[in-house]
Amino acid sequence: MTDIKQVCCGRPAVDKRLLHYYWERLSKNRMSIAGLGFIVFLSLVGIFGPIFIPDPQKTDFEIKNMPPIGFSIDESVYDIKTGEFTTTVILGRPDHPLGTDSKGRDMLAMLISGARISLLVGLLATGIAIFLGTFIGVLSAYSGGWVDNALMRFTDIMMTFPFFLLLVMIVFIFGPSLAIIVLVIGLTGWTGAARLIRSETLSIRTRDFITASRALGASDARIMFNHLIPNVSSLVIVMATLSIPGVIMAEAALSFIGLGDPMSTSWGTVLNTGQHSLDTAWWVAVEPGIALFFTVLSFNFFGDGLRDAFDPKASI
Amino acid sequence: MNSTVLKCGISAVIVAALLTLSLSGCATPATRGSFIEGDVSGGEAETLNWILAADASSFGYVGYTLESLANYDNKFNIVLRCLARDIEVSPDGLVYTITIRDDLEWSDGSKVTAEDYVYTLENLMFSDWLNYNYKDDWQEDVGGKNVYVTPAVINDTTFTIKRQTVQPEFVYTLYNLIPYPKYIAVKYEGNVEAFTQAREFNDLSYTGNLGPYKFKQWLKNDKYVLSRNPGYFLGKYDGAPFFEEYVVKMFGTSAVMQAALEAGDITYCGIEPQNVAKFKKMPGVNVYTVPTRGYNIIAYNQRENGWEGLRKKEVRQALSMAIDKETIARKIFLGFAEPAYSFIPSSSPWYSDNTVMKLGVAPLNGKQEAMEMLKAAGYEYTSSDGRDVLLGKDGKPVKLLMVTTPGSDVVESMSLLIKQELAAVGIDVEVKWVQWPTLLRQYMMNREPGTNQEPRYNNGLRAVSDEAWDMTLMGHNTDPLAPSGSRVFFASDGGLNSFGFFNDGVDQLFQKVRSREGMNKDDRSVMYGELARVISEEQPVDFITYTRANRGFQKNVKGIEPGINMGYNYYLWRFE
Amino acid sequence: MRSYIIKRIIYSVIIAWGIMTITFILLRLGPTSPVDRYILNIAARGQDVESVRQSIEARYGLDKPIIEQYFIYMGNLLQGKWGWSFSTSQTVYDLIASHWIYSFQLILLATIFAIIFGVGLGMLAAVKQNTRIDYAASVFSFIGISIPGFWLGLMLIMVFAVYLGWFKTYYDTGYSIWSLENLKQLIMPVLALGIGELAGYLRYTRSAMLDNLRKDFVTTARAKGLPEKTVIGKHVLRNAVLPLVTIIMFDLGSIVFGGAYLTEIVFGIPGLGQVSFNAIFADDYAVVIAVTLIGTFLVLFINLATDLIYTYLDPRIRYD
Repeated sequence: MTDIKQVCCGRPAVDKRLLHYYWERLSKNRMSIAGLGFIVFLSLVGIFGPIFIPDPQKTDFEIKNMPPIGFSIDESVYDIKTGEFTTTVILGRPDHPLGTDSKGRDMLAMLISGARISLLVGLLATGIAIFLGTFIGVLSAYSGGWVDNALMRFTDIMMTFPFFLLLVMIVFIFGPSLAIIVLVIGLTGWTGAARLIRSETLSIRTRDFITASRALGASDARIMFNHLIPNVSSLVIVMATLSIPGVIMAEAALSFIGLGDPMSTSWGTVLNTGQHSLDTAWWVAVEPGIALFFTVLSFNFFGDGLRDAFDPKASI
Repeated sequence: MNSTVLKCGISAVIVAALLTLSLSGCATPATRGSFIEGDVSGGEAETLNWILAADASSFGYVGYTLESLANYDNKFNIVLRCLARDIEVSPDGLVYTITIRDDLEWSDGSKVTAEDYVYTLENLMFSDWLNYNYKDDWQEDVGGKNVYVTPAVINDTTFTIKRQTVQPEFVYTLYNLIPYPKYIAVKYEGNVEAFTQAREFNDLSYTGNLGPYKFKQWLKNDKYVLSRNPGYFLGKYDGAPFFEEYVVKMFGTSAVMQAALEAGDITYCGIEPQNVAKFKKMPGVNVYTVPTRGYNIIAYNQRENGWEGLRKKEVRQALSMAIDKETIARKIFLGFAEPAYSFIPSSSPWYSDNTVMKLGVAPLNGKQEAMEMLKAAGYEYTSSDGRDVLLGKDGKPVKLLMVTTPGSDVVESMSLLIKQELAAVGIDVEVKWVQWPTLLRQYMMNREPGTNQEPRYNNGLRAVSDEAWDMTLMGHNTDPLAPSGSRVFFASDGGLNSFGFFNDGVDQLFQKVRSREGMNKDDRSVMYGELARVISEEQPVDFITYTRANRGFQKNVKGIEPGINMGYNYYLWRFE
Repeated sequence: MRSYIIKRIIYSVIIAWGIMTITFILLRLGPTSPVDRYILNIAARGQDVESVRQSIEARYGLDKPIIEQYFIYMGNLLQGKWGWSFSTSQTVYDLIASHWIYSFQLILLATIFAIIFGVGLGMLAAVKQNTRIDYAASVFSFIGISIPGFWLGLMLIMVFAVYLGWFKTYYDTGYSIWSLENLKQLIMPVLALGIGELAGYLRYTRSAMLDNLRKDFVTTARAKGLPEKTVIGKHVLRNAVLPLVTIIMFDLGSIVFGGAYLTEIVFGIPGLGQVSFNAIFADDYAVVIAVTLIGTFLVLFINLATDLIYTYLDPRIRYD
């Protein structure tokens, strides 16, 4: 099926029929829809959840290390004078359904506010990376010549640089705040997008409708914005969706090794706390991991389905 | 016939063998096995070239292969090691005479002499090209200038150190002295880079018979392996040490380390408070609960850029009253801590229980009492949302900033619990976690405003730090034998007095303790009692707790004497 | 062809130089200083920090102007002198030489594991398309690429080491690399590291095989009466392998850093991952640059090898 947009120059239409077509293809993939569903759920939780929960940072040492509902754990306090222990059994309670951590913070509240952080980091960092990548890719392909060469060499250097090491270095040097983490992930993750966009643009550039536009007197900028970018948009959307899980994992990994923002409650930070009490308060390590897993899984399902939906060669 | 002779012969051999075996069984314990000590990765040493090191772990690692002049048992009695007899101090307190044993040898067989010790002091520790980190311990103030003490060789086994001022606690510094081999060090003298990278010093290949163990292998962040030193100078009496190998194994988290102890994969490690009950019940593990030198304080910023209320003694007392020490001991240490009231721990011979002001425990605790004290000091309370809020002199609610470093669950929890405690008396505390270098540079270092002063931790009365702060949480190790070392915090010219405490009475007391007047032990005891009292009343810092450690050993380790210095006889431990 | 290889090599050297310079600048000109970790200990003892700072800097040559330090360092590097790691008190060479084998064995085993099972299961799934096996493989592959590797590692330790006691909770360097015990204790780390890769290869192999199974030459081969095994094993697989090689190579490049290092940290394997992270935290630039360069050269070499393998596998591809 030919893309109607390609024939009508000068009008980057958001064609309703096209959207409907893509949605039809997407909805045939049940896993994909399930993934989308979870993403929507997560977004709702992330956006509205923090309004309804108590402050996740609120500590209460009276209820620290409380297990999730249905479990129980022993806590023994020592008396120096007598050398005896007083053991109390701590039961899970419904007002802290997922338990608390070693400082008495409610796990559910932390996971919910962590959802917001993960989504924010995922969206923002991916946004920065994709934007930068698209920009450089299109610019490079369109300019050609030494500009193209220089940009691609620079991309090569950035690509060969061990990504995670670079991340660790920069976050360590400039301080572990969420803003820096988002910025750094975005500024180092654009290389894949740049490469791909560049090759797509190169192939589109030679198509007839571009020549036609030029013949009609369209300026370079107009061509870039009105034709090129909309045409790579489907590629960009798929790339973005599939990059988000990687970004979320990168932030979690950074927090896990201690480079996260210590005052935030991102899932990675909670995991970091949890790994030290694996033998006693195991839920602190298990729960954020499950949250991370389902989030990444959903994005992968959804992104995969999107890719198949957009790909004309895939028969659905 | 031949077989009869053979049988007689064999039985003779068997009898002889049995006799030997039984005899040796009575004499010494068998030497076998590896003693594996577990530690968490933060405790990895910097270097084995100890004169360059700044961390305690490095000295610890080296200590397995090189004995110091003496160490202390659990009651702080001196136990001689390389010393032949105890150090003699002249009646005027200015000349120290050190006599070492005559059976100490370097790895090349040459004797360790007084020359090695004096060389180590004069040419290495006191040198400019090496710039020893702890040279302050060996300097004295003479006419306003810092000069080094004067070592001198008397004969092969004796040397002296002459001072110009009396410092009765200098002897404790002496006991820790370890020598470098002069015959190797002269090759690198003057060249700090070559000295740093010298293979002999980084492999500890020169240690001879000076320690129970010899260096074998160091795989960074994994393990430090020592092998038994059969020539150990103290081993000639009973065959010590009794382990073939001594290993320090690093773990990423204490959870994994404790699981290893439980599984029997390691011999010894520290146990976290929440796991102690479980380990004490285990049949295969012995857990010893012992006092430590570690204590925690909240420093109140009395400089110009802190809350002005902190400059009043009564306010500080009130805050310390509001922070309940037993609660902290129970909630954060699960009972493995005791309330602290001064920089002198209860294990110290200088400790006196009846002089200090015990804030933070009954009867000097309680939120109501604290609020009354604050009101008496001239501060008012208002009510907001049903809660009491303390108002400052400017009429606005008091908001204090507590700065500390993340990374330790204990420190983080304490800072948050303190925030909770102070919230109950109407004070809003903001807890800020910053990395150590930032904490040191922006909050603890200070300088006089409007000048170009080089920032230091204590630049005098008028100096302030770059960033404003009100409280910080710190952990310290005290020296129970020589508590006057804490003068770095509490004296007006103390190098670490970043919170700005200036008190003439305290200054004079510290001076007296470290002078001729403090030479008599009874006098010194009185002085320390007075110091502890004054400081606990002034409350420049809130002493919170002294921690107890829990040390877990496999049951088959014998020879352990639990106490604050329980490692002092570790070379006699054995498996049974 | 030879000139192509030479060009690539020169090109790699330039990239390596670029990376080295960026790393150097970051670590030396950034706000953190190698002296920071010493200052802490010294301050705790109440000593005068400034004079000690100066002496420490003099000791490690950190007080000279940055440009001079840079050229001295580069000069040494060109002579093959990797420098002194002040955070671990040994030469950078010794440090890396004693730790690299632990990383290498982990990455090698994980990759082999992932290739064998990933490609194998992928082929199986393709051949049995739309059956329950296929469906299960699909789900499994999604799970595999979504599960956070370091969390999986933690869970494995918790379940199999702490609760069940089947394995030790940590990696013991006491065993010889070639011993059975060593292999046994690598099971969990290899699983944690390899499952992600495995899942990726599974998906790729399945889809590539499905693509090829539809193609005309397969119908022809079947019409010719060739046994199914030959059709799949010889023809289909051959065509699918080429891009698979790219993916494997690309994966190797990316798990060498990041994934493998996190696994090392979780399981306590003293490989280059731990070494490089600790070096970063200590601002020990000589070590960081060394490890980065090793990884970079590895990746560049892998890329070159991939491109060359291409020409072997697909004679249509040619470089000049």
